[in-house]
Amino acid sequence: MQIKLFAALGLSALLAVAGCGKKEQPAPIPAPAAAPAPAVQDMVNVPVSVKAITLGNQLADGKVATPQSSFAPKDTLYAVVETIGSGKVALKAAWTFHKGDKTAPVNETTQEITASGPAHTEFHVSKPDGWPVGDYKVEIFLNGASAGSQTFTVK
Amino acid sequence: MNASTSGPGNDMPDFSNVESGASSTAQESTPAFKTYEIKSGDSLSKIAKREYGNANEWRRIFEANQDTIKNPDKIFPGQVIKIPL
Repeated sequence: MQIKLFAALGLSALLAVAGCGKKEQPAPIPAPAAAPAPAVQDMVNVPVSVKAITLGNQLADGKVATPQSSFAPKDTLYAVVETIGSGKVALKAAWTFHKGDKTAPVNETTQEITASGPAHTEFHVSKPDGWPVGDYKVEIFLNGASAGSQTFTVK
Repeated sequence: MNASTSGPGNDMPDFSNVESGASSTAQESTPAFKTYEIKSGDSLSKIAKREYGNANEWRRIFEANQDTIKNPDKIFPGQVIKIPL
């Protein structure tokens, strides 16, 4: 009877030691959280800057439907300015006509915006009696400083 | 409707009747405006008549230019003003 008791105790102890020796699986390392898309973040938290200027004769959802650099005299001319960044800025479109070394101002329109990320600002001009054939330029100013330009022709 | 080098004796076209506008997907802080250089014989009511079809709209132009026009009866050739669109 005493031998059986010792044997049972010994077996229990052996099982306990075996159990303790079992290696625990390390907790899986959690996958790093997806980093925020830096490109988008940068576009929001930086001062406003002009990314692109596109010309066309028609808009679709605030953007130029078909970019073009040649227009017909009766077209309405659209310049869409794509900006990134945030803040309050003044965008100005200065349209000019060029003939040889002479330049004639056509129109200057200013739009003040408070951007909180990527935005599209459109400027348009039209001339009821038709645009004179020739070479034109639209220059975009951001807070008074040139931010780019596009040249185009009217045929 | 800006100052233009066009006119008598100048072979450049006349762009005085150009119409313009602007809009944005961003919040527009203030209404868009175009700039215009005062010419001899101009008055705010004449400009308002030409731009808006109503001379009584002169106050709209005056209010947009209170930083530069203190007296609506005193504007000067060469002065550049804002015309709200």
